[in-house]
Amino acid sequence: MKKDKRYAIVLDTRRCIDCKACTVACKTENNVPLPEDTCRNWVTEEPLRGSYPNLGQSFAPSQCNQCENPPCNSVCPTSATGITEGGIVTVNPDKCIGCKYCMLACPYDARYYNEETGAIDKCTFCIQRLAVGRIPACVETCPTKVRTFGDLNDPCSEVSILLAKNRHRVLKPELGTKPFLFYLI
Amino acid sequence: MSTIAKKPGQLLWFALLSLCLIAAAGAAGYSFMVGHEQAFNVNRGVPWGILIATYVFLAISCSGLCLISSLGHVFGFHEFTLISKRAILLAILCLMGAFGAIGLDLEHPFNMIYTLLSPNFSSGIWWMGTIYGIYLGILVVEFYALMTDNHKLSIVTGSLGFLFAIAAPSVLGSVFGLTLARPFWHGSFMPVYIIITALVSGTALIIMVMYFHHFVRNLEMDKQDRRLIRLLGRILALMIFVLIFSVFWNVIVGLYGKQPGHYEPVMALISGKLSLNFWMGEIIIGLVVPLLLLMRHDRTPFSTMMASLLALIGMFFMRYDMTIAGQLYPLRLQEYGLEDGLFSYSPSLSEVLIVIGCLAFSAFAYTLAEKLLKLDTDREQHS
Repeated sequence: MKKDKRYAIVLDTRRCIDCKACTVACKTENNVPLPEDTCRNWVTEEPLRGSYPNLGQSFAPSQCNQCENPPCNSVCPTSATGITEGGIVTVNPDKCIGCKYCMLACPYDARYYNEETGAIDKCTFCIQRLAVGRIPACVETCPTKVRTFGDLNDPCSEVSILLAKNRHRVLKPELGTKPFLFYLI
Repeated sequence: MSTIAKKPGQLLWFALLSLCLIAAAGAAGYSFMVGHEQAFNVNRGVPWGILIATYVFLAISCSGLCLISSLGHVFGFHEFTLISKRAILLAILCLMGAFGAIGLDLEHPFNMIYTLLSPNFSSGIWWMGTIYGIYLGILVVEFYALMTDNHKLSIVTGSLGFLFAIAAPSVLGSVFGLTLARPFWHGSFMPVYIIITALVSGTALIIMVMYFHHFVRNLEMDKQDRRLIRLLGRILALMIFVLIFSVFWNVIVGLYGKQPGHYEPVMALISGKLSLNFWMGEIIIGLVVPLLLLMRHDRTPFSTMMASLLALIGMFFMRYDMTIAGQLYPLRLQEYGLEDGLFSYSPSLSEVLIVIGCLAFSAFAYTLAEKLLKLDTDREQHS
């Protein structure tokens, strides 16, 4: 019997050049309002390493970790947050009361209040694109292919192969959220 | 029923509260017109502001009032039956004020219908809303029973009210305590701490009500009143003493080991952005001075009332600091709007006006009820 899909993104942050094309693509695709702090994904510039002239810097793109055990889902009083097929955590704006408890509960700060929809908003791996067989906008647009998207339940998918061949980590594993955003080491 | 002497001060009091209510209504209308993001200073980093702090303050005051009142009509300490009606009435009105504060903080309060249509039983907020909703119903029936001298019903509702008065603030504390992502809040400390502060707020409020009940009517406090206010003062001193230790250990735990997310908010309290609130509002005004006033051998009803007033002010600072401090530490590197590595928040004018409005609502409704209802026990009617 074929297993259900379990979507994940594998990130190779060594490839990131901080162009922020992923953030722009996401904002365009998902009608995310313009202010900087309203975003579904972001690129963190890590502190400079070394001293001049031998300097180095890393960039860490991130977004909702689509946790298997999402705290945002547990705390939502109206079940506006739900988990769809493929393990994607979504928000039903019609049920959202705007209490913002999920924003406080998410350890990755992946949620924000969207004034235009009047509800909490977050990354959905571009669920509307997946429905028509396309990959998330941030994955498609990245010029250096930092992100790889796929189904972890398919052993032949690119994400499964990447994780099998490379050491990797997740963010804040000690919290028990079981994230599905994997960072290659 | 005592005759209320007509005073120009009374008119002024109602006029002042009406003004506060009108200003709050204007601020609430404005916030719904332009959106909370524009009207309030909450943001992605600090999504819970002073309205949530006010909700917590009023909701736990309600529970504290109920706990103190239950000493009389549930546990049989007859001295406390003198204050039962007033305590329960004020508890109802505080809870309504609390609902007002949280209702105006919600972006879509009308979507609350989904707490019934698609409830999430793992949500602390769902349990808190449900328990406080039922609790309000119980308090209304309890007040009715007290007003109609229905002792049997008042004992049943009083006992239920007592259980809910413990359950409700502890569930409220769990809303903070279950937030794994926020080490400053996370843990079993919050539910217990909130119950202790509920007792402080409730006792302080009922002392103030007792004092002003006599002061406004120019009534002499008889021996029984003095004995009760002295007893309430002792309870308040004991609770403040316990609370001092809770605050002390919360700070020590935060500093010890420098756990990220717990250490920084504690440092913000003791030497950072919230230090004035913490040292002046919480410690000096809210704990030390009231305790010193209450420890005096020659304390009078006036000094007991002053201690209560200061303790209440301190409790508000405590609620504010607790709510805000837990959100200051960023959850990821390089967040927007950080100052010295922490988020910052100060309430907007709209938020402050709504807070004043919620407090004014409870005060207005209570004062009106004092005028319209027979809240004195038979013993007092001779005065």
